[in-house]
Amino acid sequence: MFVSKKEIILNINKIIFSSLDIRDVYQTMSKEFLKVIDFDRLSVTLITENNDLYETFVLSKDYEHTQLKEGVLYPMEGSLMKRVVQFREPVIVQDTSKGRFLTDIILFGENIHSRLGFPLEYKGRIIGSVNFGSKRKEYYSKKHIDFLSKIAPQLAMAIENTRLFNKIKEAEEKYRTVIETSPDIIFECTKDGKFLLMSPSVENVTGYSLHQFYDNQGYGLSLCHREDQEQVQSEILQVLQGTNKSLLNLEFRVTHKEGYTVWLSLEVLPIIKENTIVGIEGFCRDITERKRLDELKDNLIRDVTHELKTPVAKIEMAIDMFQRSLLQENKHTSGRAYQINEILRNNIDRLKNVIKNILDISKLESGTEPLKLSDISLAELIELAINTMKDTADKKKNTIVYEVSPEIPFIKADRDKILHLLTHLIHNAIKFTEQGTVRISVKQLSHTVEITVEDTGKGLNKEICERIFDKFYKETPSAYGSGIGLAICKNIVQMHKGKIWAESEGKRKGSRFKVILPIHGEHLLVNT
Amino acid sequence: MKELLIVEDDLEMQEFYKDMLQGEPFNITLAPNADEGLRKIKEGTYDMVILDILMEGITGDRLFALLRKESRYRNVPVIMASVLEENTYRCFQALGNVSFLEKPFNKEKLLSEITKRFESSR
Repeated sequence: MFVSKKEIILNINKIIFSSLDIRDVYQTMSKEFLKVIDFDRLSVTLITENNDLYETFVLSKDYEHTQLKEGVLYPMEGSLMKRVVQFREPVIVQDTSKGRFLTDIILFGENIHSRLGFPLEYKGRIIGSVNFGSKRKEYYSKKHIDFLSKIAPQLAMAIENTRLFNKIKEAEEKYRTVIETSPDIIFECTKDGKFLLMSPSVENVTGYSLHQFYDNQGYGLSLCHREDQEQVQSEILQVLQGTNKSLLNLEFRVTHKEGYTVWLSLEVLPIIKENTIVGIEGFCRDITERKRLDELKDNLIRDVTHELKTPVAKIEMAIDMFQRSLLQENKHTSGRAYQINEILRNNIDRLKNVIKNILDISKLESGTEPLKLSDISLAELIELAINTMKDTADKKKNTIVYEVSPEIPFIKADRDKILHLLTHLIHNAIKFTEQGTVRISVKQLSHTVEITVEDTGKGLNKEICERIFDKFYKETPSAYGSGIGLAICKNIVQMHKGKIWAESEGKRKGSRFKVILPIHGEHLLVNT
Repeated sequence: MKELLIVEDDLEMQEFYKDMLQGEPFNITLAPNADEGLRKIKEGTYDMVILDILMEGITGDRLFALLRKESRYRNVPVIMASVLEENTYRCFQALGNVSFLEKPFNKEKLLSEITKRFESSR
């Protein structure tokens, strides 16, 4: 008996490691078990990862009339499983009619009268149990437990292996599905431009067949538009040589087999093995449609700009000529004519300003114009802005005070846009202040700089502080200006991932405009 | 007398040019579109071409690029005039001997641009 048991153990061990399909293992194993332990019902149950549910993983084939079915999740509470997990030891139920477990009642109803549950432990964690059920009362005893303790560790390991294997297989299948169905081109290629992986979508995007990419080294590059080829090649080379850690959103053109141009955006990362770059992986997105829309937007804005500006330009030129002919006819132009000329000029200026603002915000909102980032000195730009406004400030008897500590770092931003922002804020402060002070200061916070433009002018109430950055919002509708200036400022700040807001103690108590801009252009702040 | 070709599709703008350049030492020829402009350039000899940018058909910037492709016209001084902002056309600077004139302009501005272009192309 003892020898044959040992043989059976060896046999079972062999079976356990013979296949990665747990059902195969289970069926052969249950036959072997029957030689040593009699049972009417055999199941393997597994616990879910958060330990509150368990699944009947496999079940004897000839035991189909059960309520505890394969592949269904059951609550741990009230089950024999729970006790096995809790005490990490085998549990025997001698008589299910007197059983304490909910499952006893169920199985008693199915004519199972005694039970044995044995824990399956893997790397210190109970992963489930192997469960025997017999129609006979008081059938299971210590000898069964002794036998199972020799088999259980291997069984647990085999189950874990199968689970892991299935997970990998699943992940692999998902990955393959992603690659095969992705509209983006996903690829991997060696240092010499040989593709190890190329997703089938490349056929749709370029018109060339997949095997042409696999068969010809550097095939992708040869399809690049010749004006872009050099740049694409050199940027990829930089990733391969490690001078650049990655390549992001490189936009370039390829020529489709049918001859038309396709715009792609490329992202590339190096493949590193044992500290050496052996190739690249990345993906390409077809952005032709976006490019086409951008172009449409650009053209529309350009045409509207032209249509709005042309008549105004011609009116201005006509006024100029009219003035000249007046001067020629009569050296002493009457006061009335001078007055009319002034009205014309002022209003043309006003109209030009409104048109400019509307066009500026349209351009910003269309998002077709990227930021031209460079390292800029706020101190320099503030001085520049103040200089253009000195005369206006003097006329209104306003003093401009300017405090920028010399330690303020350069920030990464679009120079023209930040100058526009500063100019507008300072201009606004002067506009709403009479015989007062406009104070401009900059201080450095951890990753950002804070610019404050403060005045002693007419001030704002709380509601206005909140609405002042809205497009076309004006406190008094008849006031001079388009009501877009601050909307443009907000847009510029948002493009730089910064924050802008207004503060005031109330009417006639002055106002304070604050702007926070990231120093490196990479710390995202949310504008509220 | 310098020969000036002005390619401008807006008749009122043409009037402004005529008016502003009256009595100045230039002979001006007007062309109402780029095709006509190109024909005139090929027929005659011009010391300078003033181009409106946004015109029906071939635009002024396209015409400018076409001129620069042919060696005969590679060095003809060009002034591009438009209501659009200069930076839209900054890329054309690279093609050489060109300046940008923003509309509206007055007589003094026009004359000084012409003079400057002649001086720097000498």
